Amino acid sequence: MLIRQTSLTANIVQFCRYLRQHDFTMGVEEESLALNALKHIDYRSRDVFKQALRAVLCRSRSQVSAFDQLFADYWKELEKAVDAKTVQKEKKEPKPMQQQAQAFKALKSWLHGNKTDETETTAAYSLHESLSRKDFSMVAPDELPELTQYLKALAKRLAAHTNRRYRADAGGNKPDLRKTLRNNMRRGGELLQLAWRKRKPNRTRLVLLCDVSQSMELYTSFLLQFMYGFQQAYSRTQTFAFGTTLQEITPVLAKNDFATAMRKISSQNQGWSGGTRIGTCLMHFVSQYGKRLINKKTVVIILSDGWDQGDTSVIPESMGWLKTHSRKIIWLNPLAGFDRYQPDTAGMQAALPYIHVLAPVHNLQSLRRLAQYL
Amino acid sequence: MNIKLDDIKSMLSTQGYITDERVAMSVYLSLQLEKPLLIEGPAGVGKTEIAKVMARALETDLIRLQCYEGLDATHALYEWNYQRQLLHLKMTEHGKQSLEEREKTIFSDSFLMKRPLLQAITHHKKPVLLIDEIDRSDEEFESFLLEVLSDWQITIPETGTILATHIPQVILTGNRTRELSEALRRRCLYLYIDYPGFEKEWLIVKTRLPDMDAKLATEICNFMQALRQMQLEKTPGVSETLDWALALSGLHIDHLDKTIIEQTLGVVLKDWRDTRQVQLSLSELMEKTGVISKLVNT
Repeated sequence: MLIRQTSLTANIVQFCRYLRQHDFTMGVEEESLALNALKHIDYRSRDVFKQALRAVLCRSRSQVSAFDQLFADYWKELEKAVDAKTVQKEKKEPKPMQQQAQAFKALKSWLHGNKTDETETTAAYSLHESLSRKDFSMVAPDELPELTQYLKALAKRLAAHTNRRYRADAGGNKPDLRKTLRNNMRRGGELLQLAWRKRKPNRTRLVLLCDVSQSMELYTSFLLQFMYGFQQAYSRTQTFAFGTTLQEITPVLAKNDFATAMRKISSQNQGWSGGTRIGTCLMHFVSQYGKRLINKKTVVIILSDGWDQGDTSVIPESMGWLKTHSRKIIWLNPLAGFDRYQPDTAGMQAALPYIHVLAPVHNLQSLRRLAQYL
Repeated sequence: MNIKLDDIKSMLSTQGYITDERVAMSVYLSLQLEKPLLIEGPAGVGKTEIAKVMARALETDLIRLQCYEGLDATHALYEWNYQRQLLHLKMTEHGKQSLEEREKTIFSDSFLMKRPLLQAITHHKKPVLLIDEIDRSDEEFESFLLEVLSDWQITIPETGTILATHIPQVILTGNRTRELSEALRRRCLYLYIDYPGFEKEWLIVKTRLPDMDAKLATEICNFMQALRQMQLEKTPGVSETLDWALALSGLHIDHLDKTIIEQTLGVVLKDWRDTRQVQLSLSELMEKTGVISKLVNT
């Protein structure tokens, strides 16, 4: 059915290119693999043919689920083209071009539509944004040393997390027998000089994402202490603040004393204590910083009450990405400290399936409990 | 290799594995094209089983490497038997052998402890190598594995490079706790196995437990299907279905009722939150499955 006047080989290569336009990883290797597979199957049966191509060309679950539709689209269009007896080369794959044009159009309108939408919403948000600069000096100065001290202890624990791998180290505590033997063979096999090894330290990286919107206002001073303390105590920390937009504040926190850091932050951020768009900010984080900062040694700590005025439907995507790529996601919610708290805000609901730990953080005591999750 | 697609299907089914066309095609092509097969899917849907079946079908050995975080070359490839080496050195201390000879002896095959990967490439017959739960290992091991999978040779500094005598048939499994690298994916054929639908699950139960009462099997499968619709911490797989079916038939029970389910729920659910949640909504679940089973019977 498929082999009429067209060459099967050419069509498979074309099909591979069609798939490539739909986010499949396709190289020459995949194309030749697909052609090779044909040697082993009865490709006159459409089902067998399809299954074989699917088995060879898909690389992930999402591709498996997209494959059937793409396959149907491509070959239907191809048959039409053949039946119409217009077997021109270019005519063979009218679909991809069309598809691409459509996708491009959709993309264009999406970009366009979204853009206007975005300016509108931010304009709306800025109405609520209290432009009065926050006076961060409200932080009780006597609380700070205690917090910092505690966070330092926590940081020590994080740094002490050991890996299961070993590396050679003269000051290590385990004998490295392989090296010992090899070193001492020269001396006639008498073990005079011992070689040592020790466990590699596991470098946990922390990413703090702090909600500084209006709904979190009561806790902002506390959160700033928290962020500052963490940044000071543990250098492998990256700190981000988000409200309507996301902003990295690592350098400010790391390089200044508390008072200066607060002054700098408050002078830079007129937009704080406004609305929240968790989903958009998380997306921004994932696309901008995700690849660089997140790996299996990263613990992500999100501090937020989960109130989201933006579109919560984008939360699953970014949270899902974070979940598969990071070691752990800890969501600290100041409201969770209340007895009758239910995580029922839309943002919280959307994020819940992806969180490893949901814990309260509203006072020092709750913070002490944080150690057990890290 | 002279194996036909239909042979694979019948091999899988004679070994008690109810399969669909997709599984058979993937297994077949991975054999024909000599490519590793990466199988993903939730726990308990028989991913590991495929490797076992494949080994039995090909009449070869199955070598298994279980992955975990921190798995490294000494556990995956080889390690020298230090105790033996030291003993040997002591014993030959006053012998006539020169130092070089003694060194050569202690770094020879008999002092080498072969771990799964080395075993697989030096095996006397093409084996099936099962690398189980690859997503549990870390990225360092993944890239190391990538190297072995492409070169099929292992270099031991003390003795030299060992080339594979036969390229093993590799099966990797994972349940998506971590995203695997694109490079590893591109080396493999990919197969996703989901929880089976009602018909397939029923068939599995009937095949594995032929003496099972058909009505009870229907009830069990209906209940399991409904259970998987719920938001559970650990969704039960086919292995749980089989365990449960076995337990129930062992108790000589011919139909499900609330007490029986409550008493035997521990076979199916392995998380206390799930157990509590299911207990709370048991009547509702019973009603749901009861209605379905009536429909099936009429």
